Amino acid sequence: MTGVPRSSQMPATPSRSAVSMRVLLSNEFGLTALIALTAVVFALTLEGFTSPFSLFAMGRQIGIDTMIGLAMMAVIVTGGLDLSVGAIGVCAAMTFGWLAQTKGVPVLPSVVLAVLLGGGLGFINGFAVVKSGVHSFIITLASMSIFFGIMVFLTKAAAYNGLPAEVSAFGKFKFFKTISPLLLISVASCIGLALLYRFTVLGRQMLAAGANARAAELSGIRTGRVIVACHILTGLLAAMAGLLVVARTGAAVPSMAGQLGQDWLLPAFLAPVLGGTLLSGGRVSVLGTLLGATFVNVLTSGLLLMQVGSFWILAILGSMLLAAVFTDRARQVFLKSRGMI
Amino acid sequence: MKTIIKAAAGLLMGAVFAAPVFADVKTKVALVPGGPHPYFAAWEKAGADAMKDFQLGAADYKVPAKWELAQQSQLLESLLTQGYNSFLIFPGDAVGTTSVAQELVDNGANVIATAGCLKDPSPALFCLGTDTGNSAYLGAKELIRAMGGKGRIAHFTGFLVDPNTQLRIDAVQKAADETNGAVKVVQVIADIDAPQPAEEKINAYLAANANNIDGIITTAWVPAVVAANSLRKIGDKRIKMVGIDHDEVVIKAIDDGFVDGTMLQNPYGQGYVGSYVLDKIRSGCKLKADAPWKSNALTTKFVDSGTVFADAKAAPTYVNAMVGITKDLKDKFDKDFLACP
Repeated sequence: MTGVPRSSQMPATPSRSAVSMRVLLSNEFGLTALIALTAVVFALTLEGFTSPFSLFAMGRQIGIDTMIGLAMMAVIVTGGLDLSVGAIGVCAAMTFGWLAQTKGVPVLPSVVLAVLLGGGLGFINGFAVVKSGVHSFIITLASMSIFFGIMVFLTKAAAYNGLPAEVSAFGKFKFFKTISPLLLISVASCIGLALLYRFTVLGRQMLAAGANARAAELSGIRTGRVIVACHILTGLLAAMAGLLVVARTGAAVPSMAGQLGQDWLLPAFLAPVLGGTLLSGGRVSVLGTLLGATFVNVLTSGLLLMQVGSFWILAILGSMLLAAVFTDRARQVFLKSRGMI
Repeated sequence: MKTIIKAAAGLLMGAVFAAPVFADVKTKVALVPGGPHPYFAAWEKAGADAMKDFQLGAADYKVPAKWELAQQSQLLESLLTQGYNSFLIFPGDAVGTTSVAQELVDNGANVIATAGCLKDPSPALFCLGTDTGNSAYLGAKELIRAMGGKGRIAHFTGFLVDPNTQLRIDAVQKAADETNGAVKVVQVIADIDAPQPAEEKINAYLAANANNIDGIITTAWVPAVVAANSLRKIGDKRIKMVGIDHDEVVIKAIDDGFVDGTMLQNPYGQGYVGSYVLDKIRSGCKLKADAPWKSNALTTKFVDSGTVFADAKAAPTYVNAMVGITKDLKDKFDKDFLACP
């Protein structure tokens, strides 16, 4: 977990037991334990849970959900949010489809251009937020409809299903019969983001701007630029998520994220919030986002195998999001009362 | 911490190797719509009847919680893991569902696109559904007959993203054009196959224009129910109406004289005969190369599951009509489509 202290006074050097307590109370530890526990229980009790196909499908979905979660996490860092992640993802996917299928552009340049488009759409969001001073909720609510509407107008809602064969081959490829490359791309992105937040000036500035924008401004950080950078990062990651879905379906489909891209909103919030990213900004957990997406998918997969109705699974996921917010609040209160934060 | 992780990993590995191996060879059919919709409710009984009549291992109706491509894909992957080896699928997207259908086939399962088609090329054996254009055309002809061969028609229909919708619009227009101007389609309201938009738009239209139209045709389930209710509420038996499907509200409105008839589709037959054909294919039957396939906008391997007009005389016994066309459909498969050893 990466963050900046919210109090002006740094806590004294913590004792070893205090550090252990903090580890035990961390989201990452809790999620790791939960994942291990649920995975073991499901593996022992459910037929097929550990079959190669099941593990592959689970890993592939974890890869996609993690990337969607990272896209939202990148803007939650500043205390903002982006409701247009799904719309950006679909726009990037359709742009990729148009380039690779209609224009005959090779796959790799098409990927780069589609991701850059995502970054561009993120820039529009960030620029509008900073220049207008309106909360990102309103700006991205509007841009979600605008981006999606323009995409439908330009493509006439027609899918691209004649993509080069290597696109769907990539989505179906298996390392050791079980590991999807989509998962590996997400893990690599997690590593990149962790390095960004921990070791780069820009990353630290993003966290500082999210923790206390006024203090960051007084420290010489140009928070407006930082917020725009966060939205660009969100756009880039949302575009990558869109391309992962294209690899999975082997086609660029306008409905891949539902009407206006709204189907992505639950996984977008669920993974980072479960993982310990603060909705108020200033603290981020890249590992937690990966673990959050993993837990959600392990649980979903197990519940589906138990033949629990899809309606109940949706209710359980919604409840988990609420529980994660309350648990985080309780942990904060507890750690504060022990002088650990 | 390390000890806990090692222990969890050990347990998981143990569970992986202790997991039972699935070895069921009976036909297990999953009937999976794109999401919840009353049209598909008949699939549940169709599956249960098929399981009993053809001694299948299972024929279960499984509904995704939402009309969301990712949810349907995840459910299908889970059902494959659970040992289902035969699938009747209403594609959540005519292109986007192809990839997951291909994975099912790659893992030894058979797939029939049911009630809606996958776009060619697809791994589905064929598409079994209503010839929507023909059904709408026949319904419009019945309506024109009820109107005395002249007047103004309003057409209420389904989602524009559904390729069937345009076919229905064109078919109703074609029937009107054949009257040489005696009948005009004065209004087409689409995108309303859900309660909220249907209530809003149909009621608003009838409030303003009930006196300006002589007939209503509905070519989607929810608009049929809402329009039937509206005519009952305003007590108007002057306006002639032909609906679609067999919702109780529509059947009752036919009984009471507010609706002139309905175009029955055959969801029961799709589920029942589809399950039968999948079992036959698993037991070694092949599809004849010279089978009389029809074509539509999506595929060249289409089989019409049948449609029949039910008026006030036929409405009380509409179940018999559905049983009749189901029997005809099964006989047609035995005679024209299946080559069994």
